[in-house]
Amino acid sequence: MSRTSSRALLALTLVLIAGGLLILNLGGYLQAAQGLALRPLGGIQGWISQRVLALRTLLTSPTDLAELTAENQRLQAEVARLEREVIALREQANEAEVLAGLLGYARTRPESRYVAARVIGQDVSPFIRSIWIGQGSDAGVQQGMPVVTERGLVGRVAEVYSTVSRVQLITDPESVVNVRLQTSRADGVLRARVNGELWVDLIEQGVSVTPGELVLSSGLGGAFPEDIPVGQIVTVRKRDYELFQQAVVQASADLDNLEIVLVIANFQPTVPPGAP
Amino acid sequence: MAYFLGILLMALLAVVQSSVLARFPFLEGTPNLILLACVSWALTGRVVEAMLWAFFGGLFLDLLSGAPFGVSSMALVVAVYLASLTEGRFWEAHPLAPLGVVAIASIVYYGLTLAAVWLGGHPVDPTLALTQVILPSTFLNLLLALPASQLAGRVRQAAFPPPVRMG
Repeated sequence: MSRTSSRALLALTLVLIAGGLLILNLGGYLQAAQGLALRPLGGIQGWISQRVLALRTLLTSPTDLAELTAENQRLQAEVARLEREVIALREQANEAEVLAGLLGYARTRPESRYVAARVIGQDVSPFIRSIWIGQGSDAGVQQGMPVVTERGLVGRVAEVYSTVSRVQLITDPESVVNVRLQTSRADGVLRARVNGELWVDLIEQGVSVTPGELVLSSGLGGAFPEDIPVGQIVTVRKRDYELFQQAVVQASADLDNLEIVLVIANFQPTVPPGAP
Repeated sequence: MAYFLGILLMALLAVVQSSVLARFPFLEGTPNLILLACVSWALTGRVVEAMLWAFFGGLFLDLLSGAPFGVSSMALVVAVYLASLTEGRFWEAHPLAPLGVVAIASIVYYGLTLAAVWLGGHPVDPTLALTQVILPSTFLNLLLALPASQLAGRVRQAAFPPPVRMG
């Protein structure tokens, strides 16, 4: 057998095995194996993610960097040790700030029970917008639970393993959120494009929608609790010949720079992720 | 040994892809480290290893993704197989050959992944996916194609030096 055909055979074999795994996964037979494999991977993800965040905080704070440099000059003997310590403290302060914000949010909604989770990674597929958080079924996280920050809605839990979970962001094309515009009280449906752009669709033509108006979850359909801030209207597209008007929305939460999120643990959704 | 080390490397690259690169997006995208590593390794002539790395690397990517499990694995194996077809061609030794190979491998990989995600019921606008995801990601892969193939060539030379005839 020539080298080319043996390679073709190997490629075909591997593709067939991958196809078999795909079918087994669709049947739900690989859930336990995936959970097992994700345990060490999730641990490494969390470890690396924390260090990357600390490094990024350090790199993006020029004033603090100068302070650090001055401190290093004064304490040359302990430079390496102090740098590590400062980075760690900075990260803790940053984390405390985020947690304080989240705590403030949680206090405004005492009826909800939250599980705080660190964001340990993002989806590696460019077509899917989701994040990995460092809490799973061991901490009481369940599929479909809404995820928020102090600034607004992030998404909802799509997959749960023992120590990690995948959260489908509201910017994922598969995500659908029923929303209400705060001032005009119009209902609509929030969807996302593949580039993460958010749109509210199905707004009645007769309603006057203005840029800057706040978009809240409506709670319709039972997928999300009501009145969680989702975003703000940026532009409105209204055409006379269309049945509904649409609006582009800027998400309230900074979905590209999430560090810690809150899972609303006592909300039981009535629909699976992906459905409105 | 190379198989085992390669698989470990793929696991590490998948985690870096998810936890590090995703924090520093450029042009709304990130390069695919596993695709670059496997295609570059295939271009050094170690095709069988590259294919197995692609298979396991794809599984690691799928573990850290919402895409159907096995899809990246399939797409990467096909991309590496296509890259291996350049072996023995008269332009194989051209210094810019990795650019063409990585471009084709990237488009095949993202195209297959997109098709699988779409078949899996994920609503994706193909035009937006092409202009906002596939082309920027392919461009980022191209930016790293030459350094990656140079690095792979050096590792190949160091780890598997060509046999020298004595006497």
